[in-house]
Amino acid sequence: MTHLYRDDAPEEFSLTRRKLLVGSALVAGGVSLSPLDWAQSTGSAVQAGESKFMELSSLLINHHLDAEVGARMATAMMRINPTLIQDVDAILSIAKLRNARIVEEFYADVPAGHLKDTAYAIISAWYSGVIENSSNAEVFAFETALMYQPTRDVMTIPTYAISGPSGWTSEAPPMSDMPTF
Amino acid sequence: MANDFSADVIVVGTGVIGCIVAEQALDAGLSVLMLEAGPRVERWQIVENFRNVPPQYKQNWNAPYPPKPWAPHIESELADATTDYLQLEGPNARAYRQGYVRYAGGATWHWAGICWRLHPDDMQMKTLYGVGRDWAFDYKTLDPYYNRAEYALGVCGPSEVELQWPPLPRSKPYPMGRLPFGQGEQRFTEAAARVGVTNLPAPQARNSGVSYDGRPPCCGNNNCFPVCPISAKYDAASALPRIESKGGRIRENAVVYRVETDEKQNIAAVHYFNPDKQSQRVVGRIFVIACNAIETPKLLLMSKDERNPNGVANRSDQVGRNLMDQPKISAQLLLSEPMWTGIGPVQGSSIIMTGQGDFRSKHAGALLRCENAALSAAGGQAALAKGLVGKALDTEIRRLSACTARLTIEHEILSDPNNRLTLSDKKDWLGLSKPNIYYDVGDYVRRSHRDYTLPLLKKLIAELGAVESTIATTFTNSDHMMGSCIMGTDPGNSVVDVDCRSHDHPNLFLPGGAAMTTGGCGNSTITMAALAMKASDSIVEQLRRG
Repeated sequence: MTHLYRDDAPEEFSLTRRKLLVGSALVAGGVSLSPLDWAQSTGSAVQAGESKFMELSSLLINHHLDAEVGARMATAMMRINPTLIQDVDAILSIAKLRNARIVEEFYADVPAGHLKDTAYAIISAWYSGVIENSSNAEVFAFETALMYQPTRDVMTIPTYAISGPSGWTSEAPPMSDMPTF
Repeated sequence: MANDFSADVIVVGTGVIGCIVAEQALDAGLSVLMLEAGPRVERWQIVENFRNVPPQYKQNWNAPYPPKPWAPHIESELADATTDYLQLEGPNARAYRQGYVRYAGGATWHWAGICWRLHPDDMQMKTLYGVGRDWAFDYKTLDPYYNRAEYALGVCGPSEVELQWPPLPRSKPYPMGRLPFGQGEQRFTEAAARVGVTNLPAPQARNSGVSYDGRPPCCGNNNCFPVCPISAKYDAASALPRIESKGGRIRENAVVYRVETDEKQNIAAVHYFNPDKQSQRVVGRIFVIACNAIETPKLLLMSKDERNPNGVANRSDQVGRNLMDQPKISAQLLLSEPMWTGIGPVQGSSIIMTGQGDFRSKHAGALLRCENAALSAAGGQAALAKGLVGKALDTEIRRLSACTARLTIEHEILSDPNNRLTLSDKKDWLGLSKPNIYYDVGDYVRRSHRDYTLPLLKKLIAELGAVESTIATTFTNSDHMMGSCIMGTDPGNSVVDVDCRSHDHPNLFLPGGAAMTTGGCGNSTITMAALAMKASDSIVEQLRRG
């Protein structure tokens, strides 16, 4: 990719680059299977992968999750971790053995190493809104990223005011009043 | 005399200073052409950029402002990127990594909006304490210009006399009353009182409870930097449409690279490159260079000619010297009880009385404050790093976000001719010299840090009930660039006169932070804006005289 006006400045945070990256990430995510595999794969197979990703996400995280965000993250995570779907299957099997409904009921049984890393990568993605630590990483969610929700009764999610003109005070609710999300 | 390449007043730079001078000149019936090196963008673009910055990088205020190649600025806090434009050296090079943006509207896009005036004593450092320099005039002279600047920007502040700073009767009330505190600033205020210092509500260029100047009241988006999404905070970008409605012309992506003098040492023209690297010449009667205390001296030094072999306006050899800021020390605390920052604006108060005292003959004064930015992203990432899941994760995020506090010390610094901007051998995309900056905060600041501010900070940390604290050991930048075209009455050791007019060129004005003789420990913008008002009066008067 060449830039007409850029030959020395770093490209991180460049809007132009960001737009292109978003586009290329979606394409690259889709073709993380080889081009031949992609040609042979079906839309329903991709949907099945996304569906399993959401099923596991719902077990790992006991909050409302946006399916559209999940589909985008699943596609992007497959690009980083080619065995994602198999990993998801394996973790789901562990949860089912326990008849687990919430993360606390099976997470300790997920073996340390690749599977546990995958499980936590999925949790981190939903909480932080990104799947990798890079200055030009794609942001899948900001105002709905889960790490902003446990404090949303008091702390502003920047640019999303929860108050009105001079409408805030020095009063705050108890720490034990966890918001529902 | 207005056409595409001429006007009565040519203003280089579209930040707060350029906009004040432009509007004052337009109101006096003069034609104005503004030249801006960077692009002009809509607010929503910056807001969307911010929202799409990954959480680990949201603290980099320049991240939503990708620079154009012809107008580079620091765009990242990554080490490899920050060395790219500003060439920094000296014992405290890190402390001059200034985060301004070269966009129409300038660095006010991501300023905090804080408007501390200088204290009268800040302007007499040599007389009172035997250090630094005295200003060429006193506080009383500056006071009416402060008032005008506060009304131009829309500054809210306390009406209670005991909460005002400096502690003098105001000659005019603030245009708006103060904003309320959230819990964090209230707790900090109470802790400060217990250790014997006063945390005052800051005067700030943010609309308080009411609309002002066509902008809405602050609703607590808690994002003053890197961008106020609703322009409740003054930024120069919001002044640009009004300037155009008054007939002012704004040309973005026009990188002025040369100031041309004539045989009488008047400024005849400025030359700029457009993004196609084509050069254009612009003529005028008065020229105002208002590009901040780094870009202004850089331009003057780049403009050397036969009559001015050290650069334009530089017969004194002081252009680029005396660089000042407020060397900053940051601390992060974990408290046993919730602090709850993140309600209201990102900054709203400070302990500033600590900038004054007889100790200033020995060491610097300083300002201390509690940052009020929401820390949910920091709390979230810290909790995730612990590998927690489920309810334990949510509970830990809430605890770490609510119980974390960030405190800041900003020290005053003396003007030192060795703290100097020169032209680097390295060139930017247009082939123009990059700025090279040598910076040493000096023993005056180091003594203050060791003997005065660090002990006080530790008292505050203890009083807040911290169970953990990390105090930075490196001075960092405050983005309050000052001093590099220093004001004075002696053309032999200063660059501009009392009206920010060049001693060497009668139709060249250099208002803003570069002209400031001292900086005190408060944010510099309202003093810069007051100087711009004073310079504007002089410009209008000079052109009336013909």
